[in-house]
Amino acid sequence: MGDLVGLVARRLGLGLVTLFVVSILIFFAVELLPGDIAEAVLGQGATEETVTALREQLGLDRPAPIRYLDWLAGAVTGDFGVSLVSGERVSAAIGERFVNTLFLATYAAVIAVPISILLGVIVALLRNSIFDRVANVLTLTSISSPEFFLGYILILYLAVRTSMFPAIASLGSDMTLVELLHRTFLPALTLVLVVTAHMMRMTRAAIINLLASPYIEMARLKGTPPWKVIVKHALPNAWAPIINVVALNLAYLITGVVLVEVVFVYPGIGQLLVDAVAKRDFPIVQACCLIFAATFILLNLAADVGSILTNPRLRHPK
Amino acid sequence: MNMFVIGYYAALIAASCLAAYFHKRQLFMLLFSLTLVSFVLGIIGGVPALRAVTIFAGLLALAAGTSFAFKEFLVQISKPDLAKELRTAPLTAAFGMFVIFTYAIAGIFAPWIAPYGESEVIASAFAPADENMLLGADQLGRDMFSRIIFGARNTVGLALVATILAFLMGAFAGLLSAVKGGWFDQFMGRVADVIMSVPSLIFALLMLSIFGTNLIVIVIVVAVIYSPRVFRLTRAVAGNIVVMDYIEAAKLRGEGDWYLIRKEILPNSTAPLVAEFGLEFCFVFLLIAGLSFLGLGIQPPTADWGSMVRENATLISFGDITPLIPAAAIALLTVAVNFVVDWMLFRSSGLKEQ
Repeated sequence: MGDLVGLVARRLGLGLVTLFVVSILIFFAVELLPGDIAEAVLGQGATEETVTALREQLGLDRPAPIRYLDWLAGAVTGDFGVSLVSGERVSAAIGERFVNTLFLATYAAVIAVPISILLGVIVALLRNSIFDRVANVLTLTSISSPEFFLGYILILYLAVRTSMFPAIASLGSDMTLVELLHRTFLPALTLVLVVTAHMMRMTRAAIINLLASPYIEMARLKGTPPWKVIVKHALPNAWAPIINVVALNLAYLITGVVLVEVVFVYPGIGQLLVDAVAKRDFPIVQACCLIFAATFILLNLAADVGSILTNPRLRHPK
Repeated sequence: MNMFVIGYYAALIAASCLAAYFHKRQLFMLLFSLTLVSFVLGIIGGVPALRAVTIFAGLLALAAGTSFAFKEFLVQISKPDLAKELRTAPLTAAFGMFVIFTYAIAGIFAPWIAPYGESEVIASAFAPADENMLLGADQLGRDMFSRIIFGARNTVGLALVATILAFLMGAFAGLLSAVKGGWFDQFMGRVADVIMSVPSLIFALLMLSIFGTNLIVIVIVVAVIYSPRVFRLTRAVAGNIVVMDYIEAAKLRGEGDWYLIRKEILPNSTAPLVAEFGLEFCFVFLLIAGLSFLGLGIQPPTADWGSMVRENATLISFGDITPLIPAAAIALLTVAVNFVVDWMLFRSSGLKEQ
């Protein structure tokens, strides 16, 4: 068991280091600005006094490494400073929106994960039949479409022409869960379509890879019934790739969520990030990027740790 | 029960019977399951749903016919070696090549094909289609069709430039790491890890917020974001070649790194690299389309598919599909490239999933 703990600990350590390096990257990228933040925000027409005042307010007179440590210490405790445009605290702007984004991503994941794994296994078992080919073409099409294309198609057919679901996912504070699920169904469905296609293809590849291995053929040749081959022989080894597929796609959801939130005017953190980029509101951009990157890294980490933990060869060392 | 519905089911059942008679098992399964699905569809959606299925099947048949003809055309005009390869290409790959060919024509000859200039205002805002304008006007009264044609040049051109840059950077770094090894290899590997550990769209947004949105910045940022993928692949492919005996022999002859890369490694690693180029193009293209959809890509008045979708999105709430056409153009090209790449990967790896 010591071996296993060591492996997991090493992977976790590596993840932490990556996170640290990425935070450095996000902070110091802003330092690359021609001039500095104060000049960039105030623009050409700013007087010397206003620039100096803003510099002082942002603490730009201190050296960058010290400001970085301050920022990092704040970020760990959830304090990302003050927005340059509205003067509001960044944590206040992000707080509720982050919960909304998490809700949307979870909603999509809860629908997508079981469906796509089931479909992936079915398609792998029917491989090279006509259904497999049709599924291949359909999933490829879905992957290749930009998220906004799928989103607008759903709006057109399910919201405008048939008015089954609302086109704009505005959220009220006093909505019941059913109402909330109904309101956010279209954005969630868009994400489901994209992610399901990815996951199906990856699950299919993983299962086919597995079914080609000699010990499965051995089980088949000795006369084990097909369902038993899948459940008893293939599945224990399939968990690792499947967990990997799920975690990687949840990480993929994070990028997809930005575009989908903009299409459906969903009050989430992706929408906030896009607005902040347009307004060049750096504290918010940095905070959002850090949150997205951290989630992405954590999910990748979870994928690796999950596949280490479910690997039967590592769990029962000789 | 009208004539259309009777004809629809009669045609489907007759086709399934024919397929069964000629022992085309898969075709029969497909046709008959379509018949069964149509029962359900017909009950739920009525005649319009069945009509939609017919139109879809018709389009599919048209696409299949076109791709078959295009494949035959390519086989006829190419040299015997290539013709033999092309003959084995599946219809999807032929369809992909046909679409890429069409886009290339539209992009190269845009000013001659498009009836109006890309920023020429010719009508009132959102004017409907008439005999002068195939698809109507956009939010400023510019011809939608002309802008889509010009978009083929601008959007695809930008993505192509970014892909080529990403590819050159990634492939060069990968080959150099494989040849040099040691600390250089380690360092490049870690840099690639860090870049890949940030989601691409987020990274692009961060960089664009700092450097502003002009074309050169977009190309460089996108190239930097996607070069690690190429780097890893090239490094892996070249890593397998570097340990071969003929490389050792060349080194003993006293050849330099550059000679090794150019004469010994590159010729042996083209097949996976070409397929990767196609895949990479899809990623870059989708990222750039996403950025311009967010208003951070190619700036107006230049015609660009991503921003065209955004600018005309209000039309969708009136049930008009015109804003979806540029989005569909993006999707179609990506699908087409993916089809061709699928075939090339299959061919180059010799991968036959039993």
